[in-house]
Amino acid sequence: MASELSEIESFLRATAPFDRLDEEQVRSIVRKITVRYFRTGDEILRSGEHNDFLFVVRSGAVELRLAGDELTARLERGGCFAFPSLLRGGEVRNTTTALEDTLCYLLPADDFHGLRKNSQGFRDYFADSEQERIRSAVRDLKRNRSQSLEQITIGSLVPHREPVSCSPNLSVADAASLMSDRDVSTLAVCSDGRLKGIFTDKDLRNRVVAMRRSLDAPISDVMTPSPLTLPEGASLSEAMAMMAAGGFRHIPALGPAGELRAILSATDILAHLGDSAIDTGMLVSNAATPDALIAASRQIPDGFARMEAGGFHAEHTMRFTSALGEAVHRRAAQLAEAELGPPPVPYALLVFGSLARGEQLVGSDQDNGIVIDDAVDGAGRDYFADLGGRISDILNEAGYVYCNGGIMAKNADQRLTVGEWRDRYSRWISDPDEDSILRATIFFDMRAVHGSAELAAKVRGPVLEQAEASPLFVSYLARDAQRSRVPLGIFRNLVLEKSSDGEKVFDAKAQAILPVIDIARSLALSEGIAAVGTLERLDALAEAGKMARGDAESLKDAFLLVNELRIAHQAAQVRAGIAPDNRIAPATLSPLERDYLKDAFSVVRAGLESLKRNLAGGIA
Amino acid sequence: MRERVGRWRFARGLKACAAADDEVLTRYAGATWPSPDLPAREAPLLALDFELDGLARNAHVLQAGWIGFDSGGIALAGARSIDVRSLRQLDDSAVAVHGIGEERARQGVALQEAARSFLGDLTGRILVAHGASIERDVIRRISRAMFGIEAPVRSICTLQLERRISPNLVVSDAYRLSAARKRHNLPAYAQHDALSDALAAAELFLAQLSKLPPDVRLGSLESW
Repeated sequence: MASELSEIESFLRATAPFDRLDEEQVRSIVRKITVRYFRTGDEILRSGEHNDFLFVVRSGAVELRLAGDELTARLERGGCFAFPSLLRGGEVRNTTTALEDTLCYLLPADDFHGLRKNSQGFRDYFADSEQERIRSAVRDLKRNRSQSLEQITIGSLVPHREPVSCSPNLSVADAASLMSDRDVSTLAVCSDGRLKGIFTDKDLRNRVVAMRRSLDAPISDVMTPSPLTLPEGASLSEAMAMMAAGGFRHIPALGPAGELRAILSATDILAHLGDSAIDTGMLVSNAATPDALIAASRQIPDGFARMEAGGFHAEHTMRFTSALGEAVHRRAAQLAEAELGPPPVPYALLVFGSLARGEQLVGSDQDNGIVIDDAVDGAGRDYFADLGGRISDILNEAGYVYCNGGIMAKNADQRLTVGEWRDRYSRWISDPDEDSILRATIFFDMRAVHGSAELAAKVRGPVLEQAEASPLFVSYLARDAQRSRVPLGIFRNLVLEKSSDGEKVFDAKAQAILPVIDIARSLALSEGIAAVGTLERLDALAEAGKMARGDAESLKDAFLLVNELRIAHQAAQVRAGIAPDNRIAPATLSPLERDYLKDAFSVVRAGLESLKRNLAGGIA
Repeated sequence: MRERVGRWRFARGLKACAAADDEVLTRYAGATWPSPDLPAREAPLLALDFELDGLARNAHVLQAGWIGFDSGGIALAGARSIDVRSLRQLDDSAVAVHGIGEERARQGVALQEAARSFLGDLTGRILVAHGASIERDVIRRISRAMFGIEAPVRSICTLQLERRISPNLVVSDAYRLSAARKRHNLPAYAQHDALSDALAAAELFLAQLSKLPPDVRLGSLESW
């Protein structure tokens, strides 16, 4: 009969997790349902009672309180509740009250368990813990992405092309005719099957003809020696990030024994993706003037929006955007040096915060500084004052606007010698207080992007050692992390908070991402882990046995989930010509995204709790 | 006064059924009927809706949908929906409303069969419908035609009840099923499907009941 309870069937079919069942399965449970109505204020379930039903909110809204007390969640149309009691045999822990007149569909426990048994999707949704649910959510997201750059290997992109190679002794003239004969723009220079260097059309122009070098010179004199390589099993995303950051267009792909297999060119990738991230990287790295750099850098947000539209994973989008940001910073320093002359002593340009972690999106301000060799003199300091000022000015024009907190090379306290930086870090670590920690955390995510990596390492090394040996400092970090107000979920169009009734928009960065960063940073520093990226830190913590693997994976998943939402939000803003921010209006989220967020919040809150228990106790 | 007359009429109607030589009617008469003095929350109920082929007094039943319930909930396992075979040319305008074409109406079961089925389920239960007088009249008419005896029907009209709960609404259509449901925060259902309308009335009655005193008497809600 066509009319058979079609209202209920179609509702279930559009509601998670019943949308994961096939038609027959949905039809089979419709007649198992009992419909119940609850008046505003009615107690639907009481903590301590026994329950034998899965409840689905059909209309209205309910509120769950743990042991009748602490607000756990609010659910509206399509929300399911009381399943935890079914999973543990019937004992109810959340007292559930109707916030409004509410119509519920009740599915008996037996049928609930039957569906869990027969449907993977249904089982995943009702996984015993948020951890498992969020994992399945991330799986879903990834499965749904159209392109998975993580899965495409560079080897698969250039499979059947034997690279044209020659020995290091071949003359430039012979090499050029070889390239001409074989119609290639890149030549691999090998000896004993090992790659020694690469030589390109551009090298012929720039290093031979323009330099008026003899065509009889051996190719080894003019090739690019020891180029960066990747194993052929490396993913496309790694190759793209390397190209974008390094400003080159060719990457040799090596086989398992280190033998040359192919040379991947940017054209190969572009042909595959039709994307312009690498082009932007080239424009940045080759920018001959600050104006050219500024113009190139201003393309980054558009490229970011295109990556989002192209279905890139959050990890990749962050990685490319950071790689491009790094390239802009490096080029700004190079151009400033070109204007001011070579530096009197070695130095390095440092970046802090999201760029250092490789987690930058668009619209970030600049957070940087300079570390100078201890041998610098007064005149040298003047040089670096000019250099720092120039770098900050170029970056500001390029879209990395001046830092509100003054963390930029323009300011004298961000241009320090190795010894001065060490002292500064040492003060933060040995004599922490709430206020200084609040402003100092960003400095503990640090990386050199230009100049002497050695100088940066001289600062970073002792910092890690000292931090690991300072439980008081770490406990301040752990306590600082607790300031984040991680929401309970999104209810109607409100961000649901534990204490208040919620607010209009939710700050995806402050209320979900920063806490994960804080957790990873605090724990990594307490263990002397050198990694800077949040995902890398969590991996390293799990590797070192300092965090349960499952917990680390859950935090990574939560971090990626929320970043997916942030990226989509910012990409939409870029496309609309609005300055990107992190303030997401709940109305723009789908019911599924709200579900995902709720689980992500729960994981982050658990992470903060655990951090508090383990590390924040050191403060008297 | 009205209730007393109504109770007397119902008892007399049952007596007539008890004397009939059809099992459906004798069982109907012999059932345990809830006392009107019972709290309404304890009463066995049956939401029932007919889709008719027109508005005339002799309109044909095209479809019947019903579902038993009580204040504890509506178990969908008991939902029934039957297309009734009709040999009459369908009234075009009604067909447009219900979407039940002649083809389907001809394929349905005979009215007698449908009637035995819903009379069986109505036995011992109070009929609930939005505008219950229509359903009550149709049942009486069918019963008279089939058995020569009018089966008496006890009913609660959610439309009348809504006028009591939310009196003095002046907006036109304010008491229609969909508008009343909306006031009680119930979801919008597609109308003009007999079972869907029956379920809609059942849910509306649960909502109405939740707003009445816990011990409200069944008899005080019935249309006598």
